[in-house]
Amino acid sequence: MAVPILTDNLSKTYKLPGKQTRKALDGLSIEVPEGVIFGFLGPNGAGKTTTIKILLDFIRPTSGTASLFGQSTDNPAVRRLVGYLPEQPYFHKFLKPTELLSLHASLCGIPSRAVKSAVTTALERVAMTHYADTPIGKLSKGLTQRVGIAQALVGNPKLLILDEPTSGLDPIGRRHVRDLLIELKREGHTIFLSSHLLSEVENLCDIVAVIKNGSLVAFGPPEQIRNATTYIRVYTQTAEIDCLERLRFLGVQIEQQTDRMIFRVEPEKAYELFRALEQLGLQLLRVETERESLEEAFLRLAA
Amino acid sequence: MKSVWVIARLSILENSRKQVFHVLCLIMLAVIAGSTLLSIFTEGVKIKMLKDLCMTCILFAGAVLSIGLASTGIPNDIDSRVVYPILARPIARWHYVFGKFLGTAATVALAIAALSVVFCALIYCHQGHIDSFLATAALFAMLEAAVISAVAITLSTFTSTAVAALLSFMVYLFGTIKIGYLSKVLEKSPNSIAKTCGTVLYHVLPNLECFNLKAALVHGNSVPISYLLLVFSYGVCYTAFAVGAAALIFRGREV
Repeated sequence: MAVPILTDNLSKTYKLPGKQTRKALDGLSIEVPEGVIFGFLGPNGAGKTTTIKILLDFIRPTSGTASLFGQSTDNPAVRRLVGYLPEQPYFHKFLKPTELLSLHASLCGIPSRAVKSAVTTALERVAMTHYADTPIGKLSKGLTQRVGIAQALVGNPKLLILDEPTSGLDPIGRRHVRDLLIELKREGHTIFLSSHLLSEVENLCDIVAVIKNGSLVAFGPPEQIRNATTYIRVYTQTAEIDCLERLRFLGVQIEQQTDRMIFRVEPEKAYELFRALEQLGLQLLRVETERESLEEAFLRLAA
Repeated sequence: MKSVWVIARLSILENSRKQVFHVLCLIMLAVIAGSTLLSIFTEGVKIKMLKDLCMTCILFAGAVLSIGLASTGIPNDIDSRVVYPILARPIARWHYVFGKFLGTAATVALAIAALSVVFCALIYCHQGHIDSFLATAALFAMLEAAVISAVAITLSTFTSTAVAALLSFMVYLFGTIKIGYLSKVLEKSPNSIAKTCGTVLYHVLPNLECFNLKAALVHGNSVPISYLLLVFSYGVCYTAFAVGAAALIFRGREV
């Protein structure tokens, strides 16, 4: 089967009032393999929402192509395989979750006799059966978000495009969604996850893409993105800061605490640091490897 | 096609919750109250005036509801973002536009039907028997409302709510002030631009006056079936053309 998401040199330029334009996407090429949780990261205005909008045919690319399961995104039939949760989902407030989900089940082409069970299954997956008959307008933000996730799950789509799925959820709700996404992945679903919660992406995603100004700046497993800049952290006894000035040329970051010094250096310069500390007569207390978090990698890449 | 009905049903539910329906209740109460003032006239004049009043109200309410609901439907869905989960489903854009139109037209038709039933009962109270032609006149009022709704929906696919409502109201005004007369006036103008405008208006704008069977109802004149069929065909074709144009425009629109 063709890959769930494939974009090739995707560009989008918005026309602004007057003769001005704004380039939202600039030659974005990504491939999302089947059965993975794919994290799509980028700062505000990087082009994440524009990409999602192109994938769902809300807007059209200026150049390049995008396909879902090998079919052009302008083919409505391909969206039968897709479930979508928009960022801060808005629904008709007068509808009850069961009514909303029934409506979406019908739009998915689920036969009338199977609608009820599809709705019940989706509500159960997000633990919303208790609120099934409460109008959406009376639900809290977190519960509305859960209804949105249930709506995306209706019809058991192979690909889920989720824009900030844990936004507005409390820690228990976030945990529940995390477990649900892992469960969905185990069932073979492909999940395209756009999120600002980097710890969440780090724990969940198999592959991460970081975009900046509409272009891809990093792509791969989180470990691969993080590993590029691992640091060595060295703890020593306290020392006069003046005598440490000579270490600056190594690019060592120095932090002075009341009872110890902390030196942070790139691995390739660690040997030189150890020699310098030995010459200064500083006693080593501890040495540890500092793995860059995805958040730090993101800040480095997207800054 | 199932998705069209699903969207139409949603649109009816949505429209029926809007406050424009309070206007309907006010209109009904105003007419019922106004009918008591007609007792100063002779019996024949009173019945004619009552029928005139009822039909005017039905046509006016139909136009107001059509413009109010159709011009706000799609822009409001886009502004409130409720359109995204719907368009993310395996439906074509024309399904959405057609569903919104059907939902709006059905809502207005239900409102006209409700008004017609009330007014029928009112006329029965004064006249002693039901005038069956009122049903025909109400049916053509529904058709007129469908045409206005189609035009308003077309305009709303590429303009804002306010502009769509304003333009739809202008179309309604031009359409009801005997467009043929208007175009003739413009064609006699020495200004070539005015002449061209007259021709364009004549051919593009709907002739809403032809749906108005008030005069026949009030004076008890018979209307040939052939004329009714012609007007019905005209209404259906114009509506289909306008909704088709709306679907085509919305297909290319970025949301």
